[in-house]
Amino acid sequence: MMYRLDPHPEEWLDRSVSLSFSFEGVAYQGFRGDTISSALAAAGAPYLGRSFKYHRPRHILSFANHDSNVLFQVDGVPNVRGDVTLLRDGMQVTAINTFGGLMRDKARILDRLGRFLPVGFYYKAFHSKRLFPRWERLFRTLTGLGSVAPDAPRQTTPKRYGFCDVLVIGAGPSGLSAALAAASGGARVALVDEAFRLGGSGVGLGNGEHAATQALIKSVTAAPAITVLRATVAAACYADHWVALAEATRMTKMRAKAVVFASGVIEQPAVFRNNDLPGVILASGAWRLAWRYRVAPGRRVVVIAGNAEAYQVSLDLHALGVPVAAIIDLRTAADAAAAGDDEHGPAACAALGMKILEGHAPYQAVAGADGRVAAVEVAPLDAAGRILSGALERIACDALLMSVGWAAASQLYLQAGGATRFSDELQQFVPREAPPGTFACGRLNGAYDFAARVADGARAGAEAAAHAGFGSGAGAPGAGSVSGPPAAAGRRRPSHPFPIIDHPAGKNFVDFDEDLQVKDLENAVQEGFDSSELMKRYSTVGMGPSQGKHSNMNALRILARARGVGVERLGLTTARPMYHPVPLKLLAGRSFNVERRTPVDALHAALDAVWMPAGNWRRPEYYAVAGQTRAQSIDAEVRAVRNRVGLIDVGTLGKIEIYGPQAGEFLDRAYAGKFSNLREGMTRYGLMLDESGVIIDDGVIARLGADAFYFTTTTGGSATVFRELLRLNAAWGLDCGLVNVTGHRAAFNLAGPASRGLLQPLTDVDLCDAAFPFLGVRSGTVAGAPARLLRVGFVGELGYEIHVAAGAAAAVWRALMAAGGTHGLRPFGVEAQRVLRLEKGHLIVGQDTDGLTDPFEAGAAWAVNMQKPFFVGQRSLKILRARGPRQTLTGIELLDAERLPKECHLVIAGGAIAGRVTSIARSPTLGKAIGLAMLAPELARARGDIEIRADDGAMLKARITSTPFYDPQHLRQRAGVAA
Amino acid sequence: MSPLEFLPRGPGARAGLKGPRAAEWLAGRGIVPPPQPNSWMEQCGQGAVDASLLVARLGTAEFFIEAGPAGAGAADAGAAVAAPDVRQLAAALQSPPAGVYPVLREDAAFVLSGDGTADVLAQVCNVNFAALELQAQPVIMTLLIGVAVLIVPQAADGGIRCRIWCDPTFGAYVEESVGRVVIDCGGSHGGRSV
Repeated sequence: MMYRLDPHPEEWLDRSVSLSFSFEGVAYQGFRGDTISSALAAAGAPYLGRSFKYHRPRHILSFANHDSNVLFQVDGVPNVRGDVTLLRDGMQVTAINTFGGLMRDKARILDRLGRFLPVGFYYKAFHSKRLFPRWERLFRTLTGLGSVAPDAPRQTTPKRYGFCDVLVIGAGPSGLSAALAAASGGARVALVDEAFRLGGSGVGLGNGEHAATQALIKSVTAAPAITVLRATVAAACYADHWVALAEATRMTKMRAKAVVFASGVIEQPAVFRNNDLPGVILASGAWRLAWRYRVAPGRRVVVIAGNAEAYQVSLDLHALGVPVAAIIDLRTAADAAAAGDDEHGPAACAALGMKILEGHAPYQAVAGADGRVAAVEVAPLDAAGRILSGALERIACDALLMSVGWAAASQLYLQAGGATRFSDELQQFVPREAPPGTFACGRLNGAYDFAARVADGARAGAEAAAHAGFGSGAGAPGAGSVSGPPAAAGRRRPSHPFPIIDHPAGKNFVDFDEDLQVKDLENAVQEGFDSSELMKRYSTVGMGPSQGKHSNMNALRILARARGVGVERLGLTTARPMYHPVPLKLLAGRSFNVERRTPVDALHAALDAVWMPAGNWRRPEYYAVAGQTRAQSIDAEVRAVRNRVGLIDVGTLGKIEIYGPQAGEFLDRAYAGKFSNLREGMTRYGLMLDESGVIIDDGVIARLGADAFYFTTTTGGSATVFRELLRLNAAWGLDCGLVNVTGHRAAFNLAGPASRGLLQPLTDVDLCDAAFPFLGVRSGTVAGAPARLLRVGFVGELGYEIHVAAGAAAAVWRALMAAGGTHGLRPFGVEAQRVLRLEKGHLIVGQDTDGLTDPFEAGAAWAVNMQKPFFVGQRSLKILRARGPRQTLTGIELLDAERLPKECHLVIAGGAIAGRVTSIARSPTLGKAIGLAMLAPELARARGDIEIRADDGAMLKARITSTPFYDPQHLRQRAGVAA
Repeated sequence: MSPLEFLPRGPGARAGLKGPRAAEWLAGRGIVPPPQPNSWMEQCGQGAVDASLLVARLGTAEFFIEAGPAGAGAADAGAAVAAPDVRQLAAALQSPPAGVYPVLREDAAFVLSGDGTADVLAQVCNVNFAALELQAQPVIMTLLIGVAVLIVPQAADGGIRCRIWCDPTFGAYVEESVGRVVIDCGGSHGGRSV
């Protein structure tokens, strides 16, 4: 059982401050500086969690914020990472993924059902369509990490952009050295490390590195050009040296000119039966617990060794007062010598009374009555590395440490575009190729000895600085970036080539997140998933919260053995960003949500507008009236326009000006209609197509002068249309220039039989039909403000679009509203406008058209001038015209107006999909339900009745009819008189 | 040390123009266009213009002009003095010669200043302002919290001060969103602070 050691000057604790917290309802105490994991370990909590699949009890494994054993629900927040989350007074902590509590988890029965849950059982069990919903419910109930509280308050966190010349990831000896070297060259350096303090693996070891590492730290903290970011995870690496840095409460998007990867290595577990019992810990994790937080892993410790580090950590733990009973070395003395180890470690350990069993392996860990490790059964290995299980020796222990090897923390390096090769000497992947501006050093680069790491860091830092423009050398832009492991690196082998022990009863775990055993991976290979990519996807190895940090290397070794090839023949998979789990709140940041408001937004609010989003605008859907429902309000707005006069804010339309002698020609090319022959003072409908002849936008184009046009686009399309027009203008090189005034001009549509009478007193423009005919455009003033008036008829009544500068908009709106009192003026919103235009059969691009609709299908061929020498989409239209339409936009009337289908409901004919509804509404003017539908051409031609399938499967009958539904002769908008 | 502030500025008097002969047209009216693309100059008492103007060159052939000295704040007397001149310019642009195109400027405008300005900018914009040579009087056209903006960064009190313009329909969003960041950073916005 773990316990707290005596104080030490360099511990990371402030023992003067005690913190109270609860875990699973039990009260505990810790110190300021403790993490949740260290406090629970020090307090002797027997279990910290349950495994994902079998619900086996778990405790600290890595103590490096890597594994899923120590994820907690803290004060309602799920998946809090206990290894790195500082303890707070009053914290309420519970385990995740349990039913009925951690100690009495009802789902622990699953541990006995493992044989019914073989590898790939998802794929084998879920193929039945009928049973799938049942399976889904079952597994959604049984699995999951933590529980989300939907009503939890939103936590906004800042995201920020950072910039530096050289970013160094990892503040161990090589990273510290790299930062100093880069800064000495004049570069501005950012140094990040996930730990609360600098030094990484160089701190605390008893082999002489500690003092030297502290000297490096002192130099780094004194260097003004180095910005240090502690407790910061480099979580993802993107193109152009863009690295996501995650801190507890913010995300930094760091853009560096060069990046040094000094991310080190991750200790790997030995694989043997019951290697997941509470008390079985990676040696480096045990060391961090003991050095930083003064938590002893146990009172009788056994170490499983596969490298020289096992002896060093045993000596260090002994020096801290932690008794080490035995060291089980997978290697013989000859193996160790061949791996480059000297005899100092074993001799020193033996001299301290530690029992050393060379050429032995753990056959299995044995649990005590409390479920924690109580002993380890060991046996000798034969020459082929097979365990001789007939000669078992049981060694009692309460902590079993694993020190058998490392895997390079190379995933960020791979994300940056680096490539690796497998080094047989090191039994580790090392950098092979790096894109310009990226540099690897330290243990990631295969340099293990302290002096080699420091020298390698200095080399990488200097090269990175040179790449960033500080000094010259191998790192200068364009130069190669991989130096390879330093010569001294291969002196010894830090990783055992196969620390995996077979056991007939299994439960020898390779992946602790996903509860994958050796046999699971072997079975995956046997079933044909015999590449690292396939095996990962089939078995889910490396797909849990640790992202393979502890499992990918051993899985590769198992795959290599099963295929009879060397690991070098198999590739590493590259984790997609984020490599390290990041809270969604950091990705969401402040959740900026761009919203545009027209200049009269406040006036709409004063009129009780009910808002709706339209693109990124907020627009009045309708204006609420006391005592009226939404539908009644909209109907009243429609009637006001039809019978008197209405006013709508159409400032959201895109508004573009084009000037120059070739402006007309430009519009001829960009739009499907012809505009170079448009008379001054007149407007014309414009249809914009893409190269494939598909409708992408529409609007009204007005000619203001010989060389000046003003035109509108759809609300949602203004930005993209303007961008495309700029692109076309640059490509064509015509003598004209475009100006986007969308936001700088306001626009209102005053429509209805009384519109002329209302507007005339407010304007100096003569509004009579003779002076200002339908489709005309005039410049003048409205309520004293310079204005452009367009006489258009989107809603099918006499009407005037009034375009004024944004700054004048509010005054003009107020003037119109004030003058409108005697004319029965009513403001109307988007919904009323949709009904009004539907009554006229006018399409809305993007609603009544889709990404395949051409003008022939939309009934808009009249807006296309095929006689022009060229326009965008013309060539495709010739082909489409010859082919004939695949669909036809058609008017429909619902035969039963009581129930409306929804827009996008499908039209069914002969048991097959024959179209879809694009617009639907009840027309208060016509007293029936009308709509538009995109139908199969033969169905549209037949002009009979159709059936529309509603959400619940009911078939709603409708009749095909012609459009416009209202005022088919367009008399009202043309002549301004009642039809 | 000056307090961090984000202040909206009034509608102001502004004019814009673009086109192949825009620079020539400006010069003919006594306004010296900045020679470098994406830079700004202060015009003061030159030619036909008596008061101070901020003249920014956007790209190669577009110009933005605002009344008032380059260092104008939320309410600046200089701006009022220069406003008639700018309005005259804007009026003249309604009948432009060939090669000169008027650009209606109804921008929303803000000033971000004080200690912590760099921190706020880092949260709302991905331009590295620290790397700019402010003596060159650069004009930055970029996105700020997703909105296209025009920024004139200026040295102030050992730090940076930014004049910001954007399409007026984004004004409320920019003011509310950046204002919130400013308050979180310990500053004030429109009289509000933590």
